[in-house]
Amino acid sequence: MRHSWWKTAAGLALTTIMLFPVYWMINVSFTRRESIRKGQLLPFDFTTEHYLVVFHDQVPFVATSVAVGLGTVLLTLLIAAPAGFALAKLPLPGGHALSLVLIVAQMIPAVVMALGFYTIYNRIGLLNTIPGLILADSTIAVPFAVMLFTAFMRGIPSEMMDAAKLDRASYWRTFRSVVLPLSRNVSITAALFSFLWAWSDFLFASTLNREGGQLRPITMGIYNYIGAQNQEWGPMMATAVIASIPSALLLIVAQKYVAAGVTAGAVKD
Amino acid sequence: MTLLSQDPTASSAKPRGLDAERAASRRKRNRAATLASIGFIAPLVLYLVIFYAFPLVQNVVMSLQRYDRSSFVYGGAPFVGLDIYREVIASSKFWPTVAQTATFTLVSITVQYCVGLALAVFFKSNFRLSSTLRALFLVPWLLPLIVSGTTWQWMMSADNGVLNSFLGFFGVDPVWWLSADNALWAVLIANIWLGIPFNLVILYSGLQNIPESLYEAAALDGAGPWRKFLNITLPSLRPVTVITLLLGLVYTLKVVDVIWIMTMGTGNSQTLATWSYGMAFGKGTSAVVRYSEASAVGSILLVVALAFGLLYIATQRKEKD
Amino acid sequence: MSHLNKRRAVQISALVTSVAFVLAACTSNTDEAPAASGAASQGTTTATIKFWDPYTPYQAGSDWDNQLKSCAPEGSTIERFSAPQTDLLNQLTSAVKEGNAPDIIALDNPLMPEAASSGLLATAAQAGIDVSGFDANLQAPGVVDGEAYGVPMGSNALGLYYNEDVLTAAGVDVSTIGDWASLNAAIEKVVASGSKGITFSGIAGEEGVFQFEPWFWGAGASLADISSADAVSAGQLLSDWVANGWAPKSAMANNQSASWDLFLTGEYGFAEDGSWRAGSAAANEGFQVGMIPIPAKDSGVAPVPTGGEFLAAPLQSTDASDHYANASAVISCLMSGDNAGVTSESVGYLSARPDVRAVQVASNPIWTPWVPIIEGAQGRTTDLGVDYVGVSAQLSEAMQGALNADGNADQVKAAFENASGL
Repeated sequence: MRHSWWKTAAGLALTTIMLFPVYWMINVSFTRRESIRKGQLLPFDFTTEHYLVVFHDQVPFVATSVAVGLGTVLLTLLIAAPAGFALAKLPLPGGHALSLVLIVAQMIPAVVMALGFYTIYNRIGLLNTIPGLILADSTIAVPFAVMLFTAFMRGIPSEMMDAAKLDRASYWRTFRSVVLPLSRNVSITAALFSFLWAWSDFLFASTLNREGGQLRPITMGIYNYIGAQNQEWGPMMATAVIASIPSALLLIVAQKYVAAGVTAGAVKD
Repeated sequence: MTLLSQDPTASSAKPRGLDAERAASRRKRNRAATLASIGFIAPLVLYLVIFYAFPLVQNVVMSLQRYDRSSFVYGGAPFVGLDIYREVIASSKFWPTVAQTATFTLVSITVQYCVGLALAVFFKSNFRLSSTLRALFLVPWLLPLIVSGTTWQWMMSADNGVLNSFLGFFGVDPVWWLSADNALWAVLIANIWLGIPFNLVILYSGLQNIPESLYEAAALDGAGPWRKFLNITLPSLRPVTVITLLLGLVYTLKVVDVIWIMTMGTGNSQTLATWSYGMAFGKGTSAVVRYSEASAVGSILLVVALAFGLLYIATQRKEKD
Repeated sequence: MSHLNKRRAVQISALVTSVAFVLAACTSNTDEAPAASGAASQGTTTATIKFWDPYTPYQAGSDWDNQLKSCAPEGSTIERFSAPQTDLLNQLTSAVKEGNAPDIIALDNPLMPEAASSGLLATAAQAGIDVSGFDANLQAPGVVDGEAYGVPMGSNALGLYYNEDVLTAAGVDVSTIGDWASLNAAIEKVVASGSKGITFSGIAGEEGVFQFEPWFWGAGASLADISSADAVSAGQLLSDWVANGWAPKSAMANNQSASWDLFLTGEYGFAEDGSWRAGSAAANEGFQVGMIPIPAKDSGVAPVPTGGEFLAAPLQSTDASDHYANASAVISCLMSGDNAGVTSESVGYLSARPDVRAVQVASNPIWTPWVPIIEGAQGRTTDLGVDYVGVSAQLSEAMQGALNADGNADQVKAAFENASGL
């Protein structure tokens, strides 16, 4: 315990180094335009005008981002949890092939997928909608989430499943009442990853929701500050700061579950 | 993390001479199980086919035909087989770009892993504020890439960037970070910074799952911290390590945004991914839109990633045997 | 058991792949491809009109937005979408392919030949756009194979802004700057007095090439041969600036806005930037800003590339005539009579119609020094047409090589000779 003070100090130092670019971002967001490129360590030419601009412009975009983020979480869990259960616990023809496919799926450049989506969405009328964007953003997280669930559920002792089978419970009941409650940590982890990835997505939003007006997430809202001949870095940094706050809070809350959830059940004897 | 190796239905050998009745009911249960499993997996498979297989196939098909902007819209692009691939590989940019991609990827995942592991071990000894600080380490993940990329670009500015000022404290001459010769190292630093949170999270939870009893037993045997790390921590983390490195490889091969924002892929920061991106959209020094060449480079990237994926499965199989 | 699994796995993979191929084949049929039929005169305006432009910072309430919305025909509303230049062209491409194109697009002029010859745009005749009364050099990018495809909504040009305070302190008289030698002498004096020299944008891509062309053409080089000695000398000029510390090393990554941000710190003597800044430059607090035309190498004013966007109607597949009627109504509202001047002012450009421009200049003295520059401006695509995009890419590569060469003459020469493009 006596040593924990120097560890805290070391931890603070490391965190400071790691977050220095974030400090720089905040620094710029409070600096007047003329002085942004001067490279000063502190915002000597202080101004809050950028934040005023952002509050005026960006709030609807933040709301959309939150909606898309939460929707992505829901959809990802809906697809990945049952799939993980099937891969882990049920006799599945082609299970190995599917696992390989999941890794390969994550290799496809997002650009390629976005263009494919555009064609499909245009035919079925999902362009410029929030559900469409949720569907697209979930593709970022689903393969990884399936891998997480599979790894975890493999670790659930078969005895628990057999007990349920003795009770003549269907696979669905087993899944719902036995496996899912046990998977709380993994679910939260998968939820966190999918929320963060959906929150920071720009490519799908700009390809599929470009004409969505206010139904666009904050990553696109930032691009209002990037014009052909003029970029406003102050408001952009201010937007990033404001946009980071909900997710930062989410992180701190979820961190506890994530620590336990990611590889639980995987590292065994 | 034995994600791909275990076969959950491998049943232990039952003695011969089973009742025919038991065999029949087992077959019925197996069929029910198979049907159930198909039911559970169907949404995922449908999802994969529509959203992954379709764009992938479209991409490969595009690399076999010579497209320009007009034929992209109206069709009628001539089929040229592997000609595009030949041209791309014969281009003077190809092999340097491959080398740069390899450097970028391997250095990124190695350093990210080592730093992530070091931090995970450090944070495991629960000291004051450790969980808050650990959460704060994930903040880089939340920032839009346009913001992180631009911030790094400014910090690395050769004229008045804060990084050079910092180096100046130690008497080091200012470095022209974003020049054609140094650009690769500049984007590497930024990419490593971006990847540390992911590694930290996964490795930290891996560490959480190593039973304390192993460490205690080693302590009784008189092992110091370094021996404990080498003989207990590292081996126990092997499955987690392998999957972290594999995923890290897959994600790093795809990286475009941070490089593009910092240097637009100029100089030696050009990787296969940024080259493909520039050609697909006519940006940067690849202003002419080259759909076919972009798809070809993209397909090459996929083959590389696939090769590593198969390597991973092969090692898992061997391990099981 | 694993053998059975393997066979099953192969079967399922085969099934999945064939389904994917079928899907791919289905969606690659082109029954939705636009046709060349339809005309504005045969259609009527619709309730919603889609307009795409690159003016992302001009949101609701800005001059441009108000001006555009005021041109909505009776009973219609205009929906605006903005994106950066190259993105706009790519998004137009996929939109036209899917039959989803907007009614009107404001496209950067060097992209017009490519858009037109790729079949993305309707002819001006089809879309009912009046192309008369514009300066020939400004209309030229929109004329492909003798057919006009749109009208320039305004024009901008590049000039050399300077910080009056810095120059006075350094003892520099701007009237003496008439060629590269005198410019270099002036920059040297500025640097000697403790300030920084000149800032410009050398970023990879068209934006950097746009800023390079005044020096390129000012040296007498031609886009038909970018490895000529004149071209190399232009690259050498910029490279020497960076090597001497007269221009920031970040020039090779700065776009025009970033370059202007550097100028705004007040530390630089000169900045190469465009006429769209004229308003904010005149109103600058902190220090006085002046402007001189960019000097040519030996004497006179360097030809600058014509800047500005074209208003054009994308090719439509369904209800084409109605869409063209929309385009015709909005474009003629924006570009007719005095309104053309208001349109140009709202985006900070000078009108491409000489008569309207005269009125603009008379009412706003900021524009006076820009008129000769705009009238002497050269179209980028005039000689090369569609091939410009490829040459621009090579020039960009050469310029990047020169800026990285840090003054080394051999490297600069090699950069220009070896710029290949792929």
